[in-house]
Amino acid sequence: MGGWYQLGIVGLYGGLLALERRAILQAMFSRPLVASTGMGVLLGDPTTGLWIGVLLELFHLGGASLGASLPEHETLSATSTTAAAVLMAPGESASPALWSLSILLCGGSGSFGRWLERRLDADTARRAEQANTRAEHGALGKAMRENLWALWAPFWVFGGATVLFGGLGLLLRPVVTDLSGALMQGLTWAFPAMLTVAAACGVRGSRSREAGRWGTLGGLAALLWVVGWWLGGEGA
Amino acid sequence: MSDASDALPRIPRIVLFRVFLRSLLLQASWNPKGMQNLGLAYALYPALEVLYPERTALQAAVQRHLAFFNTHPYSAAAILGGVLYHERRIAAGQEPPSQAVAFKAALMGPLAALGDGFFWLSLKPAAGALSAALVPWLGLWAVLLFLVLYNAVHFSLRGWLFRLGLEQGDGLVVSLSRVRLPQRGALLRNLAAACAGGLVVIAAQRVVQVTGQRGSALLALACVALAVLTYMRMAWRPARYVALYLAAGLAVLSAALIR
Repeated sequence: MGGWYQLGIVGLYGGLLALERRAILQAMFSRPLVASTGMGVLLGDPTTGLWIGVLLELFHLGGASLGASLPEHETLSATSTTAAAVLMAPGESASPALWSLSILLCGGSGSFGRWLERRLDADTARRAEQANTRAEHGALGKAMRENLWALWAPFWVFGGATVLFGGLGLLLRPVVTDLSGALMQGLTWAFPAMLTVAAACGVRGSRSREAGRWGTLGGLAALLWVVGWWLGGEGA
Repeated sequence: MSDASDALPRIPRIVLFRVFLRSLLLQASWNPKGMQNLGLAYALYPALEVLYPERTALQAAVQRHLAFFNTHPYSAAAILGGVLYHERRIAAGQEPPSQAVAFKAALMGPLAALGDGFFWLSLKPAAGALSAALVPWLGLWAVLLFLVLYNAVHFSLRGWLFRLGLEQGDGLVVSLSRVRLPQRGALLRNLAAACAGGLVVIAAQRVVQVTGQRGSALLALACVALAVLTYMRMAWRPARYVALYLAAGLAVLSAALIR
């Protein structure tokens, strides 16, 4: 599945979520877990979205916009990685090997997103200045509407950036079918391996003062569950 | 109600609702100079129009809210409510206009710290880590759980803060301190750490399950060791990415060797 027309959906969704992340609502629809799953649902592969979302949610768990500081753009990272994975898949749905490949290719787009966000601040600064001037001249309604006009730039810029990364998946589709079996197997194994590291990032990202202690406690509880599951015969 | 508050101009409920809805766009034009200034003025505008029917008074009111403003976008609801509390008194001539400005200036810093600490650094990681940890069992429902868990707290607190500001003005600080958000935040952060820690083990178990070959336990152990190392070296900024790529490299290498 997948086609060039789907890039339109990818761009629209990426642009809207970039707005939700910072400008409108901020009800966490733009968090990786939700954003990736949503992208997966839109492109017809929710499982891919869900698992990429889990990994990136943990990887970016500690990211927060505090004061004027900007964290990595986890939304761009999530939407672009999922779009690339789904559009890269030659079959019905993307395999875990393609999840890994797209994370390796697009996971770092969060830093690019932060860079874009800094550039966009110049546009909003200009609009705020314009609103001040309009208010001084008594054009109050127009001054207030500048707040809404400021939404266009991030919508187009982040929508475009998501299309760019999603398009990368589409371009790579003929290439991935030629990748060797050993490499694909390695990439399949890479997904849970990377998830292990992302979860460790999540322990630190929790910002708990006793993150080590609570992380270990959670790990031990999970270990008990795994041993129980194993002894229960599932492992056989 | 005292005679003084009876004499205050009323803001219809529908207008207050509009102000609340518009506050969801507080950061639409966030900028490095005035930060949320335009967003704040935009949110307050429908209420200011009711309070100041005269154009010059309305213009002055809008301009005093176009000054620098920055706080946490959720806890800004308390400031919006509080500003309207003062604006009603200013419109009635009971307070000088500087009162609303002083109220904003005094509260935006502490409320930013409170909001950042509770919503961004506690509730968000806790809801995220808990939902992620439940994905193996709940599947797609975990995503819905995340949204419900987070937003039940988010919207109820945001609405409550707006009402608190509107009814109590400066008195909101006392009511807010009774909720003990920092203490609750610490518990949520511990929950997030425990869930993420559990996921380290679950993911390592998935490594064994997926590979399903001799030597797979070694790869899982190496991943856990890498995870612990990542946790210890997170202060080094690129550590997360280096570890992610190392884990992938390790898996690809193992596949080549085991084959």
